[in-house]
Amino acid sequence: MKYVIYKLKNLSLIKYIINWGRICSMWPVHLTTACCSVEFAALSGPRYDPERFGWLAAVGSLRQSDVLLIEGTVTAKMAQRVRLIYDQMPEPKWVIAMGACAISGGLYAKDSYNVIQGIDDIVPVDVYIPGCPPRPETLFQGILMLRDKIMNEVIR
Amino acid sequence: MVKEEVRSLEIYETGPTLTFSMGPQHPGTGHFRMIITVVGDIVVRCDPDPGFVHRGEEKLCEYKTWITNIPHLERPAILDSAGLVYPYVLAVERLMGVEPPERAKYLRVIMAELQRICSHLYWLGLMGVFAGHATMYMWCFGDREYLVDLTQLIGGQRITHSYFVPGGVRNDAPSKVPTELVKDFRRYYRMMLGKDYPGGEVPEDFRKYVLAVCDFFDTRLDEYYPMLLDSPIFIYRTKGVGVLKREDAISLGVVGPVLRGSGVKSDTRIDEPYDAYPYIKFNVPVMDGCDSYSRMMVGYYEMKESVKIIKQAVEQMPEGPVKLKQHPITIKVPAGEVFASAEAARGQCSFYIRSDGTDRPYRVKICSPSFRNLTAMPYLIRDVRIADIPIIYWSLNYWPVECDR
Ligand code: SF4
Repeated sequence: MKYVIYKLKNLSLIKYIINWGRICSMWPVHLTTACCSVEFAALSGPRYDPERFGWLAAVGSLRQSDVLLIEGTVTAKMAQRVRLIYDQMPEPKWVIAMGACAISGGLYAKDSYNVIQGIDDIVPVDVYIPGCPPRPETLFQGILMLRDKIMNEVIR
Repeated sequence: MVKEEVRSLEIYETGPTLTFSMGPQHPGTGHFRMIITVVGDIVVRCDPDPGFVHRGEEKLCEYKTWITNIPHLERPAILDSAGLVYPYVLAVERLMGVEPPERAKYLRVIMAELQRICSHLYWLGLMGVFAGHATMYMWCFGDREYLVDLTQLIGGQRITHSYFVPGGVRNDAPSKVPTELVKDFRRYYRMMLGKDYPGGEVPEDFRKYVLAVCDFFDTRLDEYYPMLLDSPIFIYRTKGVGVLKREDAISLGVVGPVLRGSGVKSDTRIDEPYDAYPYIKFNVPVMDGCDSYSRMMVGYYEMKESVKIIKQAVEQMPEGPVKLKQHPITIKVPAGEVFASAEAARGQCSFYIRSDGTDRPYRVKICSPSFRNLTAMPYLIRDVRIADIPIIYWSLNYWPVECDR
């Protein structure tokens, strides 16, 4: 039975419609981990207006969210909260790592004793957005890449 | 693991009080956690729990050279990056016994004030959101982009420029503004003010362009006043909320708009003038309401003063070099110790630096304004309603990264 439902869901038209619905209403979690959040705030402003790409305002609670955007440095103290937040989000969920810090520890990778060297140890990452901080345009590219990724996903 | 920690703080305590944790994932607090105890919806106790972004900046300084310290030192207060490296650069210059060229002094002042406005706009916008006024966010962030463009024009990056270096600034301001930027600004001017730029064309000359943006922004500031700061909702939510009396403000050692909002006239730019500030005339706004409203209004009037400072600095700026000739990548600083402070957007920021004569600091200690304002938080978030917490929190203009360093 499960197999039949799985096959039905992944008929190309149904799959397309479900994925299209998902990319048109991406709810990010408002998880500010460090300084990259300034550019994330600028992204939500009127010049960039991310809603035209289906990126909703970051005010939702975790239980209605589907994108976790990690805005920069994750320290040892923050790491467990990041995982907790990720675990509280419903399926399906995606993760974007924003900034050099979230990708690899960035400026603090080598010398700092408290910074996690890349969040892929804690949560699975779908899209990496490089920069320190990334410009809002770069964030847009990340969002578009995530949309492409979701569009090709298999429905479970 | 988190649950264990929560239990040890006697959270989920039963009885007349309830203790819970607010943050670090909360739209109202950002990356900061408060442990709040309430009776009904009245807060009886607030224990701040900072340190979620502690990256060990001070220790990091000991591994990096004098110059390579600059980029990471502006990260703690990224929306006011000039304010935080300013005292560092002043301290290093004092240790080296050098003084930057005149033009560099003015360029530094322009940059620092532009960043102060950007930071205050961020503050005002978010304060608007938490007072239930999302339009303010949109207005502030829309206008902020044009000031960010200006800093990008001077420093080369949107918000992190590493523009200040010991002995001057990294590069000179451009003489001409790109045409696209001018066109974009002209369009925005028409859209926001409902009329064309006086005289038709926005000037492409750098000085004139800065003056044009300043004039535009000054007009917009006047429009903010009836929109948010004079609106009954905002007044009702902020007046008399989070009262920090003058004596308490002094004894707690708060700085910046928080101190000035409590009626104390104290500003490093006036008390210990540095660089070009002695040549510039400006006022220090002080309000004696001691509440969230006063603090916000001080921020608002400071933006007006910053516009004045930028205008004067642009007009008075002389020609000439912008950094000292003897300026290799690895400078050596003579042994000694120095203390320097500057007025960042959130208040006085101080650096204590010790050098042992090598190419990197022996010890750097940062006393950041948010760290000093944090002390006021448990005093203010007490005997208020839960709904007032974000208002008080944002009226302190607290930036967790700057506090945690
Ligand atoms: S990548 Fe840069 S801007 Fe982003 S959090 Fe790290 S240091 Fe801050």
